[in-house]
Amino acid sequence: MAVRRLELVMTKWNRPRYWVIGGSSLAVAVLLLIFRPYVLISGLQSAGLYAAIALPMALILGIVGIVNLAHGEFLMVGAYLAYFFNATMGVGPLASIVPVVVLMVALGIGTYRVSIRKVLAAPELNQLLLTFGISMVLSQLVNLIATSQPRSVSMSYATVSATIGSTSFGVFDFVYDVLAVLILVGLQLFLKRTRSGKAAVAVGQNPTGARLVGINVDGTYLLVFSIAIGILGILGPIFLVRHSVFPMVGGAYTMKSFSLVAMAGIGNLTAILWCSLALGMAEAFIKSFQGYGDWGDIVFFLMIIVVILVRARRTS
Amino acid sequence: MKRIGTVLLVMLMLVGFAGTVFAGGTSEKANPIKLGAVWPLGDITGAQSSKAAQLAVDEINAAGGVLGRQLKLTVIDSELKPEKGAAALERLATVDHADIFVGGMSSAVALAEVPIFKKYQKVTVWTGAASSTVEKAIGPDANWFFHLHPWDYEQGESYVKGWEAIAKKYPQVKLGKWFLAYENGPFGTSSFAASKSLYAAIGTMEGESFKSAATGGGDYTSVIEHAKRANPDVFIWAGFDADALPIMQQAKAMNFAPPLFIGAPPGWPADFGKSPLSKDVVLYGMWAPSMSNVNPVSKHFYDAYVKKYNEPPATYFAPLSYSAIYIVKDAIERAGSLDKAALIKALEETKYESPLGQTITFGPSNIIQHQGIRGQKILQYQKGVQEVIWPFEYKTADLVYPFPGWNNR
Repeated sequence: MAVRRLELVMTKWNRPRYWVIGGSSLAVAVLLLIFRPYVLISGLQSAGLYAAIALPMALILGIVGIVNLAHGEFLMVGAYLAYFFNATMGVGPLASIVPVVVLMVALGIGTYRVSIRKVLAAPELNQLLLTFGISMVLSQLVNLIATSQPRSVSMSYATVSATIGSTSFGVFDFVYDVLAVLILVGLQLFLKRTRSGKAAVAVGQNPTGARLVGINVDGTYLLVFSIAIGILGILGPIFLVRHSVFPMVGGAYTMKSFSLVAMAGIGNLTAILWCSLALGMAEAFIKSFQGYGDWGDIVFFLMIIVVILVRARRTS
Repeated sequence: MKRIGTVLLVMLMLVGFAGTVFAGGTSEKANPIKLGAVWPLGDITGAQSSKAAQLAVDEINAAGGVLGRQLKLTVIDSELKPEKGAAALERLATVDHADIFVGGMSSAVALAEVPIFKKYQKVTVWTGAASSTVEKAIGPDANWFFHLHPWDYEQGESYVKGWEAIAKKYPQVKLGKWFLAYENGPFGTSSFAASKSLYAAIGTMEGESFKSAATGGGDYTSVIEHAKRANPDVFIWAGFDADALPIMQQAKAMNFAPPLFIGAPPGWPADFGKSPLSKDVVLYGMWAPSMSNVNPVSKHFYDAYVKKYNEPPATYFAPLSYSAIYIVKDAIERAGSLDKAALIKALEETKYESPLGQTITFGPSNIIQHQGIRGQKILQYQKGVQEVIWPFEYKTADLVYPFPGWNNR
């Protein structure tokens, strides 16, 4: 069985275009490693961060079918909860992941039951307005409670350094790459190997059909939404280790996550990883030229526009 | 029944009318003098500004007020958003009927507030806005506008003066090569534009922008890598408090330790000093809590603030805002009324010995008629505390040079 599966994978990847893409990527990586190693490092780290944050959004969009514009704000809440545990009880951000995930899952369940489920059948604009409203409520609530003053924690492991040749770099940010892969593998295993996951895939593809065969569609939506918010509960405390958090910090990540999901294609979790890698590397590459730091965002969104246009042309 | 109702209604109207008449007839002395302020209350600069201003108001009122009238301070939160700042001023003018405007932090917010200042032309004593773009927007004719915070070019001039004096006193300090990493908004870009020509007097300046964490950025890898390659004698970053700790973390991770490491945000995170990464970082500011050890006015302010709020004032905006209220109070007393012309004349005669160390007076700057403070001080985080390095007359500690690197922290 395992051999057969391996053969299938090999057949799938043993196509000329994959060899071209793989070979040229490897060549670019080697060149970068020689001439601008920090581009490779910074690009990989940014890609990990983008992918890890975008994956839960892709999960919600792929199965629940809703664009969660409060995605970054949930991340922000997770980071604030970790900060709260650190400031009041002295619990380190990494140690606070467990209680934060519990609280975030509860927040996800509450948000779904109180609001999301009510608009699932509503027009997409209403869904967008609702999640935009949730994002405003979350950021303003945090603003009221914690003020807009940026909060950060000083952890010694956040600045652990490594050196390759003459390039020194932080090691901690690779945690996002590891997390992105773990989240992807975890989600794939959940969706393909578990009963609830298979039900979720069925619901994502055809909710009416799934309901007809006896799947609890509402329960599945609730499960998927809570898992996604729970993942943000893992990411929030880790995000806090290397970033200042403030009520508006999430907005930029909602935007980038949504763009990545659009670029990867709805429901395509694996592609999120590759798209993040492409965008992270492109961003780091352009920023490696002194004076072109402000072009990072332009390149990021330009690539997304190009990919979407090319895909639209192919489809038509 | 209907007649009784009509009689009751008429009586109520008469009582209401009488109340209005008597209220209007009460002497002016019973009405407080209204100060309308706008600060970003979520930011430490605004939060402590409003507390310090209220402290000054309470002290003045406890001492009998001004011209026999109490001061009333109304503060509205700008949330560091230009549109909110402008709306706050509009409300202070039309709903709260403020007699005088005070407050202010952030050039971006001030730019949006300038049209409202001009619309009402109330006497204004403003604590914030360093960008000379704001000065241009205010223009030379606004004789009612009194600006306390130094403009960017004035700050730059004071830094150059300060570094020249430091280099003279500490000959080992090298200032030949500078690298400025600046956030890509109006604050950072105007800082770079102003610094480039100013620092030409003491060295060469190159720089690069970065996207601040406050605006969705927070990756400083490339700018630090470029600074590292430039191998400067002095590295400065001009961003916001959200950048303070992450930029130090990234500099440590990338093993970037120039001989002088300077941070120039408008405000620092309150607990930055507690981080081991803050050790011997140089900063610019008008005041440091340690000044209370060498200056009696500063000590009075510091002690009163700590007593009232049970926290130390951590940003220079606190004594600056405290000063603004006393400057207004002294001017009203000298003017003898709230008459605009008399008040402007009285403010022009200001000589206020401030907790910031210097005596504040107003005179023309490049464009506006009434500029108060002309420069900043050079400070350094030492053992978690901000110490004054220059001007030497306010010095609380000697400069630690060079920046000690990242080992053991």
